Amino acid sequence: MRLNNKTIRNYLFYSSLIFLLTIPLFYFVVRSVLLHSVDRSLRSQLREIRSNLGEIRSQADLTAWSRLDKDISLSPADEVIGDRIYTGYRFSPKHREKEPYREIAGMITVGGKTYRLIISSSLVENEDLLGSILLVQAAVLLMLIGGMLWINQKVSKRLWQPFYVALKNMHQFQVNKQTNLSFLASTTDEFNELNVAMKNLFSRSSEIFLQQKEFTENASHEMQTPLAIFQSKLELLMQTPHLSEEQADLINSLDVTNRRLIKLNKSLLLLAKIENNQYQTVEEVEIGSICSRLIRHSRIHAEARNISIHGDFPDAIIVSVNITLIEILIGNLLSNAIRYNTDNGAIVVRTEKDTLVIENTGASTPLVLSRIFDRFYKQAGPAGSDDSTGLGLAIVKNICTLYRYSVDYSFQEGRHVFRILFKRDPE
Amino acid sequence: MKILIVEDEQELMKSMATYLKSENFVCEEAPDYKTAREKIELFSYDCILLDVSLPDGNGLSLLNELKENKKSDGVIVISAKNSIGDRIQGLNLGADDYLTKPFHLSELNARILAVIRRRHFQGQQILIFNELTIDLTAKTVTVHRCTVELTRKEYDLLLYLAYNKNRVISKNAIAEHLSGDESDIYSNYDFIYSHMKNLKKKLQQAGCSEYIRSIYGMGYKFDV
Repeated sequence: MRLNNKTIRNYLFYSSLIFLLTIPLFYFVVRSVLLHSVDRSLRSQLREIRSNLGEIRSQADLTAWSRLDKDISLSPADEVIGDRIYTGYRFSPKHREKEPYREIAGMITVGGKTYRLIISSSLVENEDLLGSILLVQAAVLLMLIGGMLWINQKVSKRLWQPFYVALKNMHQFQVNKQTNLSFLASTTDEFNELNVAMKNLFSRSSEIFLQQKEFTENASHEMQTPLAIFQSKLELLMQTPHLSEEQADLINSLDVTNRRLIKLNKSLLLLAKIENNQYQTVEEVEIGSICSRLIRHSRIHAEARNISIHGDFPDAIIVSVNITLIEILIGNLLSNAIRYNTDNGAIVVRTEKDTLVIENTGASTPLVLSRIFDRFYKQAGPAGSDDSTGLGLAIVKNICTLYRYSVDYSFQEGRHVFRILFKRDPE
Repeated sequence: MKILIVEDEQELMKSMATYLKSENFVCEEAPDYKTAREKIELFSYDCILLDVSLPDGNGLSLLNELKENKKSDGVIVISAKNSIGDRIQGLNLGADDYLTKPFHLSELNARILAVIRRRHFQGQQILIFNELTIDLTAKTVTVHRCTVELTRKEYDLLLYLAYNKNRVISKNAIAEHLSGDESDIYSNYDFIYSHMKNLKKKLQQAGCSEYIRSIYGMGYKFDV
């Protein structure tokens, strides 16, 4: 639930409560006030009549008076009781319904005879007045609540805007990408502080990331020279006369190990360079023709172990990529297919719509999908494959990530199958 | 043949000079930009080995100067950066070849010889070892004047061995040379055995002496 709605929810709850409580309270208060004033006027009327009773001299006068005044009724009383005020209902022929009346009943004595006098006052007007007042009251309250909600929504939205922009920036921030995120300046101090803090956090993370990346690249570069010196000395050592077989073996081992070191260093450098986005030149290439060329080049390696490579490219896949990277991507998969193959094995490279499929025979158990793309993960392979750097598939994964291609592995009918979907994933 | 080695790493320079001197090259050494510039202005060389990153300047600007002064020295650019940009820039500036550190001395030697031969002998280029003749222009091999049919790889292999004659070439160096640009991807060099075997067989069948010798498990040597 959004913060705004959450605040409004509490507001709304309180307002409704007040609204529901006030209406009946108001009704009863106003009603009692009105009744009170009616009662007072009835009493004063009764008092006035009593003090003016001297004016009435005969029975006939009394009858005429009571007939003239519709609000008064007179009846002979047998017993004397005190004044009494009550509410009654009478049928009104004019409005054809029962209407409420407030009546006062009291005793008067005219010419020695005691009568019961009832003075009544219609409450219809009062009820109408009460209704109107309540209506106005309800309307005002409703407008108040509605207006408050509306203003709150409007103001909150504007008020919280910098926060939501900051939130969006946080979502979009990627430590490996230089993006210019703009924050919304606000008149609220807290938001401005948040913006400053986030800007600092972003730039600090990017800086550290950059330093780390540069370190890997620089370290790999710095290693090239000592590796070159080492290799050159080994070659000179090979030229020294009268080498024994034992010495030759040692030199050979050193040479093989150094070669591995060089490869490892090159792979690390390549990874760093891909991450540093240093392969920016892009051109349109057709995957099938690149595969054909790479297959041609790798034949000498495959033929040494009698592995057949079959290429079939019915669907042309045209992509805009850096040609070096795409060659490394396909080359790595192809060299793995050779390296981890069995002697007399087979490799099939083919296109299926937007997908490049490379499948090969090899170990009879599937690879561990969750780990094969990890750096320095090595699966036990056939003899001769222990020179692997453990970085080949990590590089494949990195290149795919860079271009937003998807790469996946499956084990089907005894064959290891790698698929690269060249359709870009939506970001 | 005069070679100038422009390289700031003392040990690497010493290795290069030692390997090349036995090829009857005269090697001069320049450990920095300033020295290299002076030497280039005063003398001319058959080939200059130019390191890109020097302590007091960029090797590529030296190359630029060289070409502006219309010097005809052959140049091989050597860089620790395997970047396409550097390579293209170097070749565009008129370098004859480009080599990335770390490299094999045998590869360096073969490249230098190729550069010098391209520059000095415009016409027929032939290597002769007694009964064996390699025609570099036509890319053919003859033994006792009879042509030996070699595959592209076998020819490359023979030429590489011949360029580094009388020296041990490691299997690594041969494998990398034959793999070319893909050498970074393939690290297995089983494939060179079959090529070597076929090459030796074809030469032997044509009546050629056994010049190619295997030196224990370490490498091969073209002995003449």
